[in-house]
This record gives sequence, structure tokens and C-alpha cells, in this order.
Amino acid sequence: MFRLRGQWIAASAVAVLAACGSDSTTSTVATSTAHGTLVEDPPLRIASLNAVSLSAQLSANATGAQLLQLTGAPACGVDFYYLRFWTLGGAGETTESSGALMVPTGAAPACSGPRPVVLYGHGTWTDKSGNMADIANTSTPSPTNNEDVIVAAMFAAQGYIVVAPNFAGYDISTLGYHPYLDAAQQSGEMIDALTAARTALPNTFASATSDSGKLFITGYSAGAHAAMATQRALEAGGQTVTAAAPMSGPYALEAYGDFVMYGGVFIGSTAFVPLITTSYQHAYGNIYSATTDVYSTTYATGIDTLLPSTTPIDTLFADGKLPETAFFDSTTPVVTVPGNATLSAELTAALAVPSNPANPDTPIFAAGFGNPYLINNSYRVSYVLDAAANPDGALPTPAAGVPLAAVAPTQTLRLGLYKNDMRNGDWAPSSPTLLCGGDQDPTVFFAVNTGVMAAFWSGLPAPLITVLDVNATPAGPFAPVQTAFQQAVAAQLAFYMSPAGGGLSLAQAEELLLPSYHGSVEPFCALGARLFFSQF
Amino acid sequence: MKAFITQALTAAILTFTASLACADEIPDNTFRVGLYSVFFHTSVSPLAGPFIPPGEDLTATVKNVETPYLAYLRKLSTHFTFELALGVPPLTKAYGKGPATLAGTVPFNGQELLTSRWFAPTALIEYVFLDESYALRPYVGVGVNYSMFYNRNITPAGEAIIGGPTRVELSRSVGPAVTGGISYRLPKHWSVMASYSWARVTSHLNAITTDVDRTSSISFGPTTFIVAAGYSF
Repeated sequence: MFRLRGQWIAASAVAVLAACGSDSTTSTVATSTAHGTLVEDPPLRIASLNAVSLSAQLSANATGAQLLQLTGAPACGVDFYYLRFWTLGGAGETTESSGALMVPTGAAPACSGPRPVVLYGHGTWTDKSGNMADIANTSTPSPTNNEDVIVAAMFAAQGYIVVAPNFAGYDISTLGYHPYLDAAQQSGEMIDALTAARTALPNTFASATSDSGKLFITGYSAGAHAAMATQRALEAGGQTVTAAAPMSGPYALEAYGDFVMYGGVFIGSTAFVPLITTSYQHAYGNIYSATTDVYSTTYATGIDTLLPSTTPIDTLFADGKLPETAFFDSTTPVVTVPGNATLSAELTAALAVPSNPANPDTPIFAAGFGNPYLINNSYRVSYVLDAAANPDGALPTPAAGVPLAAVAPTQTLRLGLYKNDMRNGDWAPSSPTLLCGGDQDPTVFFAVNTGVMAAFWSGLPAPLITVLDVNATPAGPFAPVQTAFQQAVAAQLAFYMSPAGGGLSLAQAEELLLPSYHGSVEPFCALGARLFFSQF
Repeated sequence: MKAFITQALTAAILTFTASLACADEIPDNTFRVGLYSVFFHTSVSPLAGPFIPPGEDLTATVKNVETPYLAYLRKLSTHFTFELALGVPPLTKAYGKGPATLAGTVPFNGQELLTSRWFAPTALIEYVFLDESYALRPYVGVGVNYSMFYNRNITPAGEAIIGGPTRVELSRSVGPAVTGGISYRLPKHWSVMASYSWARVTSHLNAITTDVDRTSSISFGPTTFIVAAGYSF
């Protein structure tokens, strides 16, 4: 009896002792997979830097120090949240995506309370691991091309709440491809990220910081296309866009595509074009029956799943997965237009390796030809025949209003570009818009993109569209931005021409800087965008 | 001379203890109540997982605790006793050990990160020296410790470091335990005792923030000093 009683007492003690209290739990996980749903609320905060620490980290290396000179000293600290949300892929697939929510912190009035939101679309990444929220990732080369640092310093540290999706296909996304330059998907995902961020904001550590209702949209390169498409979608939906500032973007995609297919090969084409064909193949299903329809047999196998990749792009080049520069075949195709020998001869001549010595871009274009090459001549010819039969209003000589092709193209890649060209639908911004870029850009050509959109919208009321060319003679409210850019370029050229930089000639130094020109414009255009936004 | 002193001392102790011995046989069951002082000798592997800055050696220390001690003892024979030792589960606190700040400018080193209650019964078989006629009887024992952690709560400082609300999982531990002590039998079924014990307690920690899982392995290496009073019946 004693034995039983003793055991019972011990067991009771165990039960009583183990039963009290409960464990802490993690974030609430959404059960809905509807697009725009925040997956985990509150989201994970990856880092929290006060203004002093942010300044110190930027000052720790030369690139950061230069950026700091441009952005000015941080007025606020920044909390970096890892946003996860549901969105739709290019073919309407329900998929999870991720991004950054950067929240300004600090006691200064500009750092808490109601703050404006900057919605940012990143540029082309070949690295699948890019994550705008992972500010502590100092890998070289940067998976985000330092865009996370640029927007954090330029906007978040100056009191803007930043929402920056990584986009489907990157980071945790299992989509298997990136809906690159897909206006419908990219705008939808930008808006989904914004919706998720607005859900998350009240539950962050910086809950005293709230959305003021002002919404600024910006983005760089491919992200500028996404930004402009987002502006269009929000305005079409009757939602407020305070102002927008797409930067160095490929907006007039049909014109840009035509320009490239005629021989104006841009730096980066061998990586960017596979991203486009894969994206449009998923969205429309008609770009090719087999990748060999588009790509040479040297590169066709696996090219539809190659990018974005966890393998560095230089390794892909070295491994022969992609050519570094040889976009087109250096052997000129013979174009035959039935019954039109003149046009046949003109097109054949147009597709030759560029050699016009009067055009300063000729060396850039010519570098895009070689063997082994990426694009089949037969595919190039099919595209150019469509362009010749149904020309874009911007090429070869701009027509009044630079309209899209009169009817939808029949060549499927050109049709995809036509659908995603920002002139499609005759949309025009109803909110103030700054178009920023550099007219020497060898990657996203300024004239055929920013220039075409400016011309397309030239009839709009004067204050609505502002064009900022950082290469132009400094003038007007953005003169400090232009001056800063040109001084930075001059300083780099001077360095490479100095004994310490190799003692290059001016032409050699310019050639050396050319591949980085496109990326180098971003901080300056971002400063222009911030100056522009500060007016509203 | 030395041998003589040793023999004399031994004789004196035996005489003393024998003089205090109770003529009655010790009952089979004993309950003890006392104080458990737990001294942690913690070894923590650096926290690992997503978004942990490379090169950061993030570990923790655990603060020593005291808690009431409860035990049930069953006499198995003259020299062998079974003991089930329990403590009122103490609120155990872990503190950050590593860089002053983490994840930017969030304080880390010395911050209270985590609290947990720890239920750790230990079953021991003890060999008790001398026969029951002696009041003062040393003993040694070996057994098994079972440890489970509950009420695992991350503190606000811990949440700030790790990035948000976090579910903490600490695996259960089963490990050997050894003890050594001495009991002193008082009249009328009462006794007092003191012991010093060690147990191997290891646990795998998962700190799950959203679905980001950071992990660490913890060896608590607790030693305990117990003083208690017992009642036999």
C-alpha cells in the first residue's frame, strides 16, 4: 500500500510540474495562397542598423563610401525584413515569392510615424540567390548587384519605407524560371509585394512607422520596366501613385528588339535574351517548339532552365553554357523576300556584322558577332522579316508619335515584345513620372527606350513627364546629379589613365568602363528619383 | 605514528556514529525535501542557420539556479536504495555570449535570450555504506537522468536578436547520472542528508523564426549540491 501511494504521489508531482505554462510560438502562417497574401506575419527581421552603424558599414569600403557621398549621411536607421508572399507566375501559377521590407527607424521625425513608400523593382540578376532583404550578404560579386545597399542608403535611410520584391524565380521561389520583362506578371508581383508589406508593417518591431499613403514607384533596368508596368496597372485600377521614376529601363520592347535583331547587339545580350525567351515561352507557349528553333546547337540544350542560376555567370561562360559576347553568327545570313530583290538585298546588308566607322557604337555591336554564336541565323531572319513587313514606328527612322507596329506581329518573339512594350494599349502616366538614364548606356540603349517613351508621350502636359539624362550637359533641378555622374566617370577615366591605373589611353579607359556603364548609372538616377519624389 | 593516527581517527568516527545509531530498523520508504543548487557547466555550439553572419560565434551561458528538491527513496536491501529525485522545475535563463551586437546594432552579449523550465527526474540506485545501525552513512549512486524542457520562451531581447517571434525547441535528454552523499539519521524517522551529483544533459536547440530554423547543440553539464531533510515510514 505504501509503495502504491508513494508512486502515485511522485507521478502526480510530475504531472503538476509539467503542466504549467506554455511555450512561445513563431509568426502566424497564412493558410491562404491568394496572391498578395503575406505568408508569415510578422516577417523575419534579418538586420537592424541604426544610422551610425549604417554609415559606418557604408564607409568601410570605397564603393560604399562613394555611395554615401551621393546619398548623404543616413538620417535614419533601417530594419530589414524578409518578406514572403504569394503571387502568380507568368502562366498564372500560384507561387511563393520573397523580397525586402525596409523600415526606417530612429527618433527623428523623418524616421517614424507616417512615412512614404517606395516600391522598387530590381534589375536583371543572373544569380538566383539574390535577396534584397539580406543586407548582410557581402558576397562578391553581389547577388543583387548591390541594389539592396543602394535603395537602403538612398531611400530607407532617408525616411522612405522600401518594398522590393526579389521576384518569382529568385531566392526561395520554386517557380523554375523568372517571368522576365513580363509586364502583367511583374506588375502583379510588385503589387502583391506591396499588399503583403502593408499587411506586415503594423506588426514589425518598428510598428510606430506607418504608411503615409504616398506611393512612389521606381526600379532599375528590367525593374524599371516592372515599375512602369506597375504604375500602369495601379493607375488603371484607380489607385494612387504619387509619382514614379523608372530608371534605365527597356520600355519600348518591340523597338528595342528590332534594333537588336537588326544588329544593334547590347552588352549582356547573351544572358538577357535567354531570360526573355524562357519567360515568354512560359507565358505564351509559342516562342519555340524546341530551343534549337532559336538557339544554336552549341548552346540550345538546357538553355531554357539555365537562368537564373546558382552558378556564377562567369562560370557559365567558362563552362561553355553561354557565349560571353557572340550573340549572332558572324556569317551574314542571306535574306530572301519573295518577289522583292531590293528588300532582300537591303535586309541581307542590314544583318551583316556592323562596320560603319561613323557610328561610335559599332565596336559594341560588332562584338556581339562570332562563332560559336547563340542565335540561329534562321531565327534572326524570321524576326527581321516580320519587322520589315510590319515595322515599329521608332525604326529605322522615327515616325510621328513613334507608334508600335500597326498590327500585332506574327513572329512569336516579336509578338511577345509587342505585348510587353509599354506603348501597348496607348497608356500614358497620369502621375508625375521621371525617366532617368544615361544616353551612352551600351546595355539598355537610351534612345530606343527612354527616348522612344519620351517621344511617345510628348503630347502630355509638360510637368507630367520629366527626362533626366545623366550624360547631358548639367542644367535644371537635376544638374547636381548630372554633374556628380560626369565627375565620377571623369575620375574613373583619370584613374585608368594614370600610372597607378595602368596608364591607358582615353579610348582604352573608355572601353574598359563600358561594360559597367549601365550599372554605374543607377546610384545617380536613384538620387535623381529621390530628388524628384521629394517634391510631392 | 601515521598508521596509529589513522586507526584512532577511524575508531573515533565509528564509535561516534555507532553511538548515534538508532536501534530500530529503517523503514522502507523515505521522502526527502530540501534545496537543489544547480551549477551549469554549459558548452554551446555556435548558432547556425540562415542569415547568421559568417564568422560570428554566437553561443550562450546558462545562469545557475536553486530550486526545491523532492525525492522518494525505497530501501531495496540493507545497502541498496532506489531514489527518484525531482526538483521543482526551475526557471532557467540563457544569456547571449559573443559579439556585443548582432544583426546590425541589436545588443547580444549578456542579453537574456531565453527562459525555460526544466523537468529533470533522476532515478538512482545507491549503495549505502555501513549497516543500518550507523546514523551517519555515506552513499554513492548511479542512474539515469531524464530532462525535458517546457515553457520555452524567447525574451523580447531574444526576439530582437533573432528577428521576430520564435518557437524554441529543445530536445529531451537521457543521460547517465552519478551521485555521492551522506545521510545522518535522526530520531523519530527523520534524517538529514547532503549530496553532490553530476548528470550528462545534452539538448539540440531549434530556434524557429517564421520558418527559418537556426540550430545549436547544448551540453548543460549540470552538477548539483543538495541538502535535504528526510522522513521515513
